[in-house]
Amino acid sequence: MANKKAFGKLKGREAMVLGIVIAMVVLFSILSPTFRSYPTFVSVLDNSYYITLMALGVTFPLITGGVDLSIGTGLVSYALIGGYLVVHKGVPIGVGILVCILVGLLIGVFNGVLVAVMDLPPFLATLCTCMITRGLGPALCSSMGVSWPSALSEQGAFRKIFKFTSASGTVIPIGIVFMIVLVVIMSFVLDHTRVGRYILAIGSNKEATRLAGVNVKFYHMMAYMISGLFAGMAGVAYAATYATIYPGSGAGFELDAIGGAIVGGVSASGGVGTILGTFLGVFVICLMKVGLPFIGLQANWQQIFTGIVLIAAVLVDVVKKKK
Amino acid sequence: MKKKVLAVLLSAAMVMSLAACGGGGGGDAKTDDGGSAADSGTTAADDNAGSDDSAGGDKGYSFEIIVKSFQSTYWQAAVQGIEQACGELGVKANSNGPANESDIADQITMINDAIEKKPDGIGLAACDTKSVVDSLQKALEAGIPVVCFDTGVDEAPEGSVYATVATDNEAAGAVAAENMFPVIEEKIKAATTDKKVRIGEVNQDATALNIQQRGKGFINKMLELCTDAGKKVAVVGNEYYVNATEGTVAEGEAEVIIEVGVPAQTTVDLASTEAQKIMSKDDTIAIFGSNQTTAEGVITANQTLNKLAADPAEGIIGVGFDAGTPQKEAITNGQFIGSVTQSPLMMGYECIYTLTDIADGKDVSDLPMDGYWYNKDNMEAEDIAPNLYD
Repeated sequence: MANKKAFGKLKGREAMVLGIVIAMVVLFSILSPTFRSYPTFVSVLDNSYYITLMALGVTFPLITGGVDLSIGTGLVSYALIGGYLVVHKGVPIGVGILVCILVGLLIGVFNGVLVAVMDLPPFLATLCTCMITRGLGPALCSSMGVSWPSALSEQGAFRKIFKFTSASGTVIPIGIVFMIVLVVIMSFVLDHTRVGRYILAIGSNKEATRLAGVNVKFYHMMAYMISGLFAGMAGVAYAATYATIYPGSGAGFELDAIGGAIVGGVSASGGVGTILGTFLGVFVICLMKVGLPFIGLQANWQQIFTGIVLIAAVLVDVVKKKK
Repeated sequence: MKKKVLAVLLSAAMVMSLAACGGGGGGDAKTDDGGSAADSGTTAADDNAGSDDSAGGDKGYSFEIIVKSFQSTYWQAAVQGIEQACGELGVKANSNGPANESDIADQITMINDAIEKKPDGIGLAACDTKSVVDSLQKALEAGIPVVCFDTGVDEAPEGSVYATVATDNEAAGAVAAENMFPVIEEKIKAATTDKKVRIGEVNQDATALNIQQRGKGFINKMLELCTDAGKKVAVVGNEYYVNATEGTVAEGEAEVIIEVGVPAQTTVDLASTEAQKIMSKDDTIAIFGSNQTTAEGVITANQTLNKLAADPAEGIIGVGFDAGTPQKEAITNGQFIGSVTQSPLMMGYECIYTLTDIADGKDVSDLPMDGYWYNKDNMEAEDIAPNLYD
């Protein structure tokens, strides 16, 4: 309901995705008694933070008609670099977090230059940075897995940004508050600022936007910078949620985020999309990742099922548009 | 002009992506790093050997080592052992491995590349024991001896694998069960068909032989101990482990249930979801995470559930496998009663010694390595601590 107040009337697509989310919660709750418990709810949120951050960021390149494939391996490598500095070089945790976000932004700028200035196709450019980031983190951290300080240690307070455990042991997933704040901010950026409007315009018709006198290169680049910045933040969220960052992991994370955005109504051909839609779409993905094991579906079937549900989610939209 | 630059850039990018498809993407960058580290370690420690292996030196052999990945600190300890042995023997070893333990195809490419280099021997930790069989056949035809370490390959072509240096994973899994059982014995004895108890196990996958053996070793030992205590046991969950177990009853008739969770992919979030799924159930009394990733999955799940305890009356008993900072912390603060460690360092070390023996023309045989139980009390002990990497 809070969402409704913040955004006025839900658009049709968002209402539908919200419906899917609710339907999934109901279905999983009926099928699994342990699913409908507070810890599971917290766990869905825990799993959602880094995907949400990636998805909020990647929505912008997607809206320009491009894509950013470097965010998955990117976030792992940013978290590795930041964590390596904290654990092995004795850097204060705040600096580690900052480094994590800044390296993300830097890769975002790099992607932006490749795509907007040098006119490389986004798929190819970000596929290359995906490879670069996959090797970059391990290369800079002598290929070691890094465990950011645990919640119990002195430096582990940053983990409480996302999950606060009170003295009595009650777990409060405050990370979701930050996510909602970011959703509000980025919705504003997309719908009401020059950056957002021009990014939408580039996605609808780049040439017309250029002829209208807009500095297309700059705003096109901005889309990738936003994506990189959020990948950096996703790196922090990932480090805060999980025990150890393993070098070489992260490939495929971007698909969860891109999948979430597409389910949420962002058009893969550009020009269309909302932040709220992306946010809700991410929950379709996260609920599936947590819910399917809970209802007893075994590994291989989880993946098959996930694919089918995503097809269905996108298909509903296609059918609706045709009517 | 601009178009030409673009064309050049594009084709460069395409070549890059092709190379990555063949060679394993980021794995190359990372493993090159590991390899050069191993190399520099060798040359630094070995004064006599020239930079070229044909130049001789103490032994002058050159080996190719392929690990499962550099994903966990576990493999870094193995590389440390490899470097140590290289330094002692004056041989060279080039370490390589895919980015991820599930990158089976990448590893095959690496093995085939290693064979092309015609080294004096290959040390291999196979990601997937079935997929490497063809490559082992090639090595056999090329006359290159292979020593498997960490993971054995059951179906290896006759004569290709000279020796296997590996933890007896079945025994190591059993060590976890043997140490878990006494703590939960009372609860197991009190179990009835109406009031079942559940013991969880999270295995990273159902394809790697060492994980399979470890998982089955735990299940079979627990099954044996519970059966000896007069209880009927059912194994539920992942099809592979359910089908691999004998002497069980249907879930309805059982007093003790062993539930096996396997994540759809080997990512930390899915591993923790599997752990959480089992730990959320009211009848769960204990849980075992059978490698570093899954043991940490149990710890991550507990951050929300807060159910793990050292005392069975207060919560779920947790047991891990391998080491790493999070697990060591969990043992120190009483979330885990203990964990089983292998000695990756010794396996890497013995692998090089075995390869050198083969090159020297000596007879070699399999070298089973032990799994060691460690807990709060013996973590600092001399024979345990070196294996407990961070």
